[in-house]
Amino acid sequence: MLTLVGMNHRSASLELRERACFAEGDVPAALSRIRESTSATEALILATCNRVEILTRAKDGPNVAAEIRAFLARERGLDDETIDRHVYVHQGLHAVRHVFSVACGLDSMVLGEPQILGQLKKAYALAQESGSTGPVLDRLLQHALSTAKRVRTTTGISRHAVSVAYAAANLARTIFDDLTGRSALLLGAGKMTELAAKHLLSQGVTDLTVTNRTYARAETLADSLGGKAVPWDDFTRELARVDIVLTGTAAATPVLTKEHVRQALRARRGRPLFIVDIAVPRDVEPSVHDLPGVYLYDVDDLQDIVDEGLAERRVAAEQARRMLDIEVVGFDRWRQSADLGPTIAALYEHLHHVGHVEIERYGRRLQTLTPEQREVVLDLTRSLIQKVLHTPIVSLKSAAERGEAGPRAALYREIFGLEHGRPHATQTPQETADEAGSGPTHAIQGGKED
Amino acid sequence: MARVLLTVALVLHLAGVALAALGELRHRASAARAGGLVLLAAWAGELLTLIVLGVTAAAFPLRTGPEYLLVLGWFVLTLHLLLWFRSQVRAAALVLPPVAGLMVLSAFLFSAGKSQDYPLQTQGWFVFHTSIATAGVAALAVSFAMSLLFLVKERALKTKRSLRVLEMLPTLEALDRLGFQALLYGFPLLTLGIATGMVYSAAVHNRLWIWGPKEIFPVIAWAVFAGILWARFARGVRGRRSAILAIAGFAFALLAFVGMVR
Repeated sequence: MLTLVGMNHRSASLELRERACFAEGDVPAALSRIRESTSATEALILATCNRVEILTRAKDGPNVAAEIRAFLARERGLDDETIDRHVYVHQGLHAVRHVFSVACGLDSMVLGEPQILGQLKKAYALAQESGSTGPVLDRLLQHALSTAKRVRTTTGISRHAVSVAYAAANLARTIFDDLTGRSALLLGAGKMTELAAKHLLSQGVTDLTVTNRTYARAETLADSLGGKAVPWDDFTRELARVDIVLTGTAAATPVLTKEHVRQALRARRGRPLFIVDIAVPRDVEPSVHDLPGVYLYDVDDLQDIVDEGLAERRVAAEQARRMLDIEVVGFDRWRQSADLGPTIAALYEHLHHVGHVEIERYGRRLQTLTPEQREVVLDLTRSLIQKVLHTPIVSLKSAAERGEAGPRAALYREIFGLEHGRPHATQTPQETADEAGSGPTHAIQGGKED
Repeated sequence: MARVLLTVALVLHLAGVALAALGELRHRASAARAGGLVLLAAWAGELLTLIVLGVTAAAFPLRTGPEYLLVLGWFVLTLHLLLWFRSQVRAAALVLPPVAGLMVLSAFLFSAGKSQDYPLQTQGWFVFHTSIATAGVAALAVSFAMSLLFLVKERALKTKRSLRVLEMLPTLEALDRLGFQALLYGFPLLTLGIATGMVYSAAVHNRLWIWGPKEIFPVIAWAVFAGILWARFARGVRGRRSAILAIAGFAFALLAFVGMVR
């Protein structure tokens, strides 16, 4: 049974998420504590700024959820009420579905954001290194990661801009060949311009000039961003040189006029100029946009693009969910056929056991046989068992392909009197050979398996 | 024989245009690839048509208006395929193959008319002149395509509406650069084409200049392109105004062919 216990940006406040979070270095130790203190045999911890989730797989029981909740409470010092109110639990296919959605960014604060895929990969690597994944989590995570990649390329969910700064950088990329090494001029040294400038820098812009009415603030910001500051009165000179202008002053009237830009145009020799005005009230005269080769976008323009981007993401998310439906069913089929392993093994074991007992019972009467004849009798028994089991097993496997393995396997267990994968065994099979589909452990010596 | 080949090539060409456009507009990579391959087949078909035409007439297949148009269309398609295989400017598939297709279609529709007779001793000059001029116009067609895409892109940026168009087309800078580079190839070829034409005219008609569309329009086109280049080098004028002029110049260069199909 797969169980996922966790909290995310919807269920819990940032403060609570911070408290519940596991630092990367603590994860391996926490994973081994989970496996020691609960019935989980496989475990994974995904801890990001927007979610803390513990994914486990245990052989049995609805109790795992309670155990993991208790573990979380104990580890992070959370009381029961908090856990009840802010922690969600998904089990079985719901857990599978949740992991797939998380991987695709469908459960993220910003729909379709791509960082989560890397974070999930990291969480999986940590779990693998600390030896807390097994066949089921391995399969689930690999399936989820590859599906997420496919969903991203097919639906284009991450392509559309979802913030004003992102939209501005996207626009710059449709004008300029490459943002690497481009120059930008910042008018105003406020928080908003700083944020937008950081985004441009992360896109490769290297040459940054900052100006502000109070020169000292321009200098401070220039220092922190690795640019240079120029006095306010000199900024018009920079207009002839830079590729991008970013304005965000608190001025009540436009600080950048059509005349300023027009004068710079000749020296620019036709190079395009991209101006982003994120100030309210606006810093740049709207008529600047009419000048040839000048593209002025204000907050409203960018917000329109963001809205469009969000709408596109929602459409893509719908498509992504439909793709996930199919993938979840695919994973379920795999689970079911993997679950058949113990039933099939138990069936063989049961019949071989019956055969073994009967041969023991007839032991004395068989003593008169030569070793060759004895061998023939053993062969006959084995062959009989194989023949009898052949059709039921083929039928069970085809039921699994139709997704009906569960009830069918239960029926077989009932008919043959198998208890949890083990008949009335006289010998205890190795504990390690469990659901992963190992063959019978108690068989007539030399019995062939198929 | 040539007619059958041309029909097949034309059908392939138009099918390729449709597939490539579908691929670009709807982001279908498989359609775009199929379109490219069908266009390649059309290219081969057109080349074969030209060879058959040349062999049948035992002359370079540039004697009649339709032949000019076919060679021109084939040249434009050649340049498109080169661009398509070598660069990321996939959006050119929306302009160049249709332009080339129109040329081939015209070649198909117009009757051959009177073929140009030329004295045998001038055949070398004639072939030189016509192939240079046609190659030049083909390069200018690339410039035209890039300029057209530039205008669409620039308009999208100015109206701030069609985000989809913005994302689909190459960057504004790339379109400007490619259009200009094509012009840098096309302009010298056009100049040479006009000059060799005058030499040929002098040799055959004993006149350097004849007042016909075949002569007047290329010279107007040449003046337009010269103007673009001068403005760009001397005054740094580029972008929208250059693009509009490049489109106008290409239209004039094309009009020269009207003189041949008359």
